[in-house]
Amino acid sequence: MTTLIVNGGRHEVQAPDDTPLLYVLRNDLQLIGPQFGCGLAQCGACAVLIDGKEMRSCVTALSDVAPNQEITTLEGLPTRWAKQKHVSAEEAQNTLHPVQQAWIEEQTPQCGFCQNGMMIKATELLESNPNPSVAQIKEAFTTSGVSPNLCRCGTYLAIIEAVQHAATIMAKGR
Amino acid sequence: MATMSEKPANVFGPTLSRRQFIKAGGALVVGFSFVGPGLLKGETAKSNITKNSLDPTIASSWIEIHADNTVLIRTGKSDFGQGSTFTAYRQIVAEELSVPFEAITTVIAGDTDRTPDGSGAFDFLGRGTPNIRKAAAYTYQALLDLAAEKLGVPKDKLSVKDGIVSGGGKSISYGDLVKDQQLKLTIPVSGDLTSIMGLTIEGNPPMKPVSEYSVIGKSFKNSVIASKVAAKETWATDVRLSGMLHARVVHPKTLGSTLVSAGQVDKTKFPNAQVIVKGNLVGVVAPTEWEAIQAANQVASTTKWTEWKGLPGNAKLYQHLREEADWKTAPVAKGRADKGDAEAVLASAHKKLSATYQLSYMKHAPIGPTMAVADVKPDGTVHIYAHNQNPQELRGEIAMMLRSTPDHVIVHSYPGPGHYGRSNGGNAGAEDEAVILSQAVGKPVRVQWMRADDMQWSTQSPAAFSDIQITVDEKGKIAAYRIDHYMPAMQDDRPIGAVLAGLPTMPAPDVHNDFITSTANNISDPWVYAPVPHVMERGHGTFQVGQKASPLAVGLRDHSMRTPGQFQQNYPRELAISEAAAVAGVDALQFRLDHANEERAIGVLKAVRDASNWETRPSPRPDAISTGSTPVRGRGVSLMLRSGTYWACVCQIAVTPSTGVIVVEKYTIAVDPGIVVNPTQLKRNVEGGAVMGISHALFEEVNFNESGITQNNWVSYPIPTMKHIPEIKVVLLNNPKVGAYGGGSEAANALAAPAIAAALHDATGRVLRRLPLKPAYVQTLLKT
Repeated sequence: MTTLIVNGGRHEVQAPDDTPLLYVLRNDLQLIGPQFGCGLAQCGACAVLIDGKEMRSCVTALSDVAPNQEITTLEGLPTRWAKQKHVSAEEAQNTLHPVQQAWIEEQTPQCGFCQNGMMIKATELLESNPNPSVAQIKEAFTTSGVSPNLCRCGTYLAIIEAVQHAATIMAKGR
Repeated sequence: MATMSEKPANVFGPTLSRRQFIKAGGALVVGFSFVGPGLLKGETAKSNITKNSLDPTIASSWIEIHADNTVLIRTGKSDFGQGSTFTAYRQIVAEELSVPFEAITTVIAGDTDRTPDGSGAFDFLGRGTPNIRKAAAYTYQALLDLAAEKLGVPKDKLSVKDGIVSGGGKSISYGDLVKDQQLKLTIPVSGDLTSIMGLTIEGNPPMKPVSEYSVIGKSFKNSVIASKVAAKETWATDVRLSGMLHARVVHPKTLGSTLVSAGQVDKTKFPNAQVIVKGNLVGVVAPTEWEAIQAANQVASTTKWTEWKGLPGNAKLYQHLREEADWKTAPVAKGRADKGDAEAVLASAHKKLSATYQLSYMKHAPIGPTMAVADVKPDGTVHIYAHNQNPQELRGEIAMMLRSTPDHVIVHSYPGPGHYGRSNGGNAGAEDEAVILSQAVGKPVRVQWMRADDMQWSTQSPAAFSDIQITVDEKGKIAAYRIDHYMPAMQDDRPIGAVLAGLPTMPAPDVHNDFITSTANNISDPWVYAPVPHVMERGHGTFQVGQKASPLAVGLRDHSMRTPGQFQQNYPRELAISEAAAVAGVDALQFRLDHANEERAIGVLKAVRDASNWETRPSPRPDAISTGSTPVRGRGVSLMLRSGTYWACVCQIAVTPSTGVIVVEKYTIAVDPGIVVNPTQLKRNVEGGAVMGISHALFEEVNFNESGITQNNWVSYPIPTMKHIPEIKVVLLNNPKVGAYGGGSEAANALAAPAIAAALHDATGRVLRRLPLKPAYVQTLLKT
């Protein structure tokens, strides 16, 4: 029995210690934001935030997560934003994280399968750098993680535009 | 309790019959239906309408007008990320019906039991008249007829705005017109539901004049993006059925290996896992995904296969294709633009370009490996849950595999990672395996391929080569052009699990198959240089590499991929045209203008010239250099006509001769699709295609040895990252007078390669004619 803190809630999980976090999130906790892309930490489709840092859940074993570490999945981004902006949980239910809003307004995804990881990476970036340059955005999505975040549909330009848009929304507060 | 009266009315050939319900309470939601009295050319679609599909001859199968003025539409085409079903299709229907975009509240796509027409997720805009447009046009006429009768006003005195029909001082909404009634409109439909092309609505209902468009041309948002971004969409990967087992497949050691003995599960470690063997198909199932993965790895390590070395290996690929492949048995395809006597002119020419161009195998490489859930019920009914480009054809293939009939098979469509053509012939890879395993264990089974399975056991875009001869006259014009295209069969639609299990499938590509799965290589790159006096195009086809030698009849299986066949033909043509311009000493873009006479081709060339600040001069640039460690810049151009859309692109590159590294710095692309339906969606599609084009040009090449594909992940099969993207400029040329909507998703990925290769020539003075332009290849060739 392992206890995980995910999206602000505590969850008891019955899975072997070596189970990759991805399968625990998807199959045991029904959190379907992270996707299986390669299982090798080479693409980013499975990314989650662990204490605010983008991690690849496909190679993170359940036992790699410390009891006090907070996991945020795509589903948890609105609550994360609400908490940072001291918005009530109820209100947070009806809103989206600025990154998600920007992804919609810029019509960023094509198939969208990689975009979980792209939004997680964007959130990590904007929490540390609220106004990134294009070069900094490219650096974040290419060299800051264990591998570049890959998009087969080629939406990189739309991602850059959405990150910039999200920065604007965040600067306004909400 | 209802009584009924039927009264036929004429709707442009098809018949509207009306059943007037007088109901005791409650409104009845009403649609229209189509029957087939007017089927054209004696064809009947009825024969392959099965129990679990909607009747395509009934209008309500396509479009439902509800009493609350909302509209539902259905299409057999599942969305693969281009968003056309959620944007363009809504806009087209809203336009033809004269209702607001927002009135179309529901779009049902791809499910075989809930959509009428089948066919694949390609050519969404149907060269201007997709099925859904005709369905809407027929429906609109029927609604006008109803309103004319109801209001007592002649049809030609009626007008419609926002779903309200008005005339003679009276008005009524669509909702009120259909309320409490069941209306049955029949329209003509032809085709084969479970084939690659599916069904087509026939006839010529009047369409709304383009000049009256108010919904088409606006950038409505794609509704599915919002639900995907908010993690509210159910993907195929999310489907979980009660009692479902997770499975992994242990694929053969080589593309020609047969099973000697399957490994056993170590029950001390994996007590709940089970091995299933059917012919050469080895699957491992377990209640949890992690146990299935680990047990499959363990079983794989002790499973024994025969050895096989029947492939040429990619170092000898082009030699094999040139010298060993059988190009004699498939009929030679001739170009539609052939004219004059190119052979005679070329034979007597003093100055000619004569060269060979080569393109490697490429993977569709979806960002998530293929997967499917199947549930084979005790009564033989099969449910498949998948992300598939042609669910109706999949249904036919699964029925064939099980020696059953399509009415026993239902395919449920869900979003998934785009795979750019791989499953447009009905299967992506895991669907049939899930069915076989589910049938074996009597429970629902979820088969998820791992990354290595997807790289090594899926189909690929076929390699190809072309021989070109061009002669240029003293005036600097092309006097004669001859091209011979060589490409192995491009469409192997056999489900691989069925092949491995020894179950029935359609035949492997062969000479006498239908045109899609035959070994013939048709000319698929429309000629756009009409003034050239002597033209000869030939297409030569053959079997897939290794197909005949493999005991599994597998080899390097091919499948159409984004801009299929045309990419393989346009790349050599367009690079050669740039080379011919250099031979003539004429600017490459001006040279194309000098050889084009179609207004739209000229339009995209001029647009891309202006938007890219093209400097008119011959290539190579005066100071071109093929040595040194300083980056050299160059630019190139390419042109294509595909699916009614004209495309031109200009790429500016920087190449460092000492390293062979090419960086694309600017990418300008102009597109004239006729009517631009949704500018934002088109722009995003083009941008994405442009990035994939850079990938094809610089990165993508399947590596294989004598036994199979040696790449198994994103390190060994790299694609571009964000740092590789250039400044991208998309110029949309809305051209309403064309009166049709052309395709907007394909072609963008194919234009880059010839433009980049021409840019390399411009920068260095050297022509490299083999794709991809990887650093080692570029570096080596520039040195020689």
